[in-house]
Amino acid sequence: MPLTERLRTVFADALQLPPGTDVDQLKYRDIEQWDSLGHMTLVAAIEDEFGVQLDTDQVIDLSSFKVAADMLRDAGVDE
Amino acid sequence: MTLVAPTARLVDAATGAVLAGAELSAEVARHAAGYTDAPAGVVFARSALTTASVLRYAGAFRAGRPVALLDPALAPAVLADFVTRFEPAVVVGVGEGGAGAELCELPKGYDDTEHPVLGRCWVRRTAPAALPHPDLAVLLATSGSTGDPKFVRLSRAAVLANAHAIGDALALGPDEIAPTSLPLFYSYGMSVVNSHLAAGATLLVVDGGVLAKEFWQAVDAHQATSLAGVPYNYEMLHRIRWRPGRHPSLRTLTQAGGRLRDELILHFHEQISASGGRFHVMWGCTEAAPRMSTLPADGLPGSVGSVGPALPGGAFTVLADDGTESADPHVTGELVYRGPNVMMGYATAVADTARGDDQAGALRTGDLGYLDERGFVWLKGRLKRFGKIFGIRVNLHDIEDLVRADGPAVAVSGPDRVVVFVVGIDAEAAQALAGRLSERLRVHRTGFDVRPVDALPQLPNGKIDYRALEALA
Repeated sequence: MPLTERLRTVFADALQLPPGTDVDQLKYRDIEQWDSLGHMTLVAAIEDEFGVQLDTDQVIDLSSFKVAADMLRDAGVDE
Repeated sequence: MTLVAPTARLVDAATGAVLAGAELSAEVARHAAGYTDAPAGVVFARSALTTASVLRYAGAFRAGRPVALLDPALAPAVLADFVTRFEPAVVVGVGEGGAGAELCELPKGYDDTEHPVLGRCWVRRTAPAALPHPDLAVLLATSGSTGDPKFVRLSRAAVLANAHAIGDALALGPDEIAPTSLPLFYSYGMSVVNSHLAAGATLLVVDGGVLAKEFWQAVDAHQATSLAGVPYNYEMLHRIRWRPGRHPSLRTLTQAGGRLRDELILHFHEQISASGGRFHVMWGCTEAAPRMSTLPADGLPGSVGSVGPALPGGAFTVLADDGTESADPHVTGELVYRGPNVMMGYATAVADTARGDDQAGALRTGDLGYLDERGFVWLKGRLKRFGKIFGIRVNLHDIEDLVRADGPAVAVSGPDRVVVFVVGIDAEAAQALAGRLSERLRVHRTGFDVRPVDALPQLPNGKIDYRALEALA
């Protein structure tokens, strides 16, 4: 499965997004589900799914779906 | 005494705008004057972490208008109910947004108007059933379960006394720069605002909290000197391997809002000490405006686990089981606080806002503990059964009532969450129940851990063994 597709699934599951949410446009704290607790759940889910460990800067920088996708590409996750 | 000292500054992180000295004072006065257009009664202020919210609050305080600081994400039904019960003269911050912000419909008897200074307001057409007591300054919703929403009534003198006592205990001076890491409508967040403005320090108004990039950018750009957090914040920062050394301007970390693990207190104490800073464990409650005690920085590591002595001007006693009250060391009982910052009382309806002081400066905290020879407080849990989730107080008894339909249940307080043991519940029903509790109590669902048990453990006398369940949690 392509990276963005996998990441969409991770976002939808971790943040318990209602069906039809435009995941690609999501930004931190734009929706109630992506609050600080949601963020911690999301970070853990991304680490599990992609086998990466995010450092402090990455956790704090991870402020949108797009940033997360770029971060994973930079980390060498296959498209 | 005034809330905003002459050297105080407000820095808006989003725009970089700075209000300082006479300019800030004039701006607060302009907001204060804005309230003269509103009819008599209390002010409801939907307050997000914005400069406008801080100015509307400080303006109301200066104008002598009692102001209720409200969460913009309050459920519409709860906001509507508050308006019905308290008949506020004006609701300001109607346009305040943020994640999860919701508005109820314009309440009956109110006009939706745009005020040149206060912004979008709902203004009441008729006088309320009762006029507020002249001493009343701030109303804060008790962070409790939604079963019994009420306000804590704080007098002007109590708010000012606490702001100054915190400043003394933490040695706040004009050089301090505090970012708004906690909501304004939360008593700890309000106290950061009050204590820094009263000390003539700088308040860095920044939204987002400690996991937001913008927050740390603002901390660095404006050289913030302190960080205030509840246990949950420090747990998160620890989990993402954050270190205060990343932000060299930080000199003081404060923690209140529940018990942080000793291990993490020592961890952050060591880290901030290494860069010449200090870590302060504090204790308070909304009913005390809110601070009651602060552990001096040199109390660590030796007195880890204590929340320190009473603030200047305050005092603790212990009410033992046999009804005797004393300040003797090592007597365990309910801690009683006395000080100028104790609330006037609670309010459940507009008539209560007219009441004077019901407390006479004394507050039974509902917390068990003892004092040591130095007067340091050592807490030993709640007398009544409350839990704290992410700094929000929930009544465990209320939770049990809410889940009773699913089977015999006991709720106990776990680390930053409530664990609910339900007899014979299956996994799917447990999940659904956690979701329902989360919705009903407006606390994130990860704050509830619903677990099936075959039976509730009992003491020899047939009572439920809460201690055994707490050990499992």
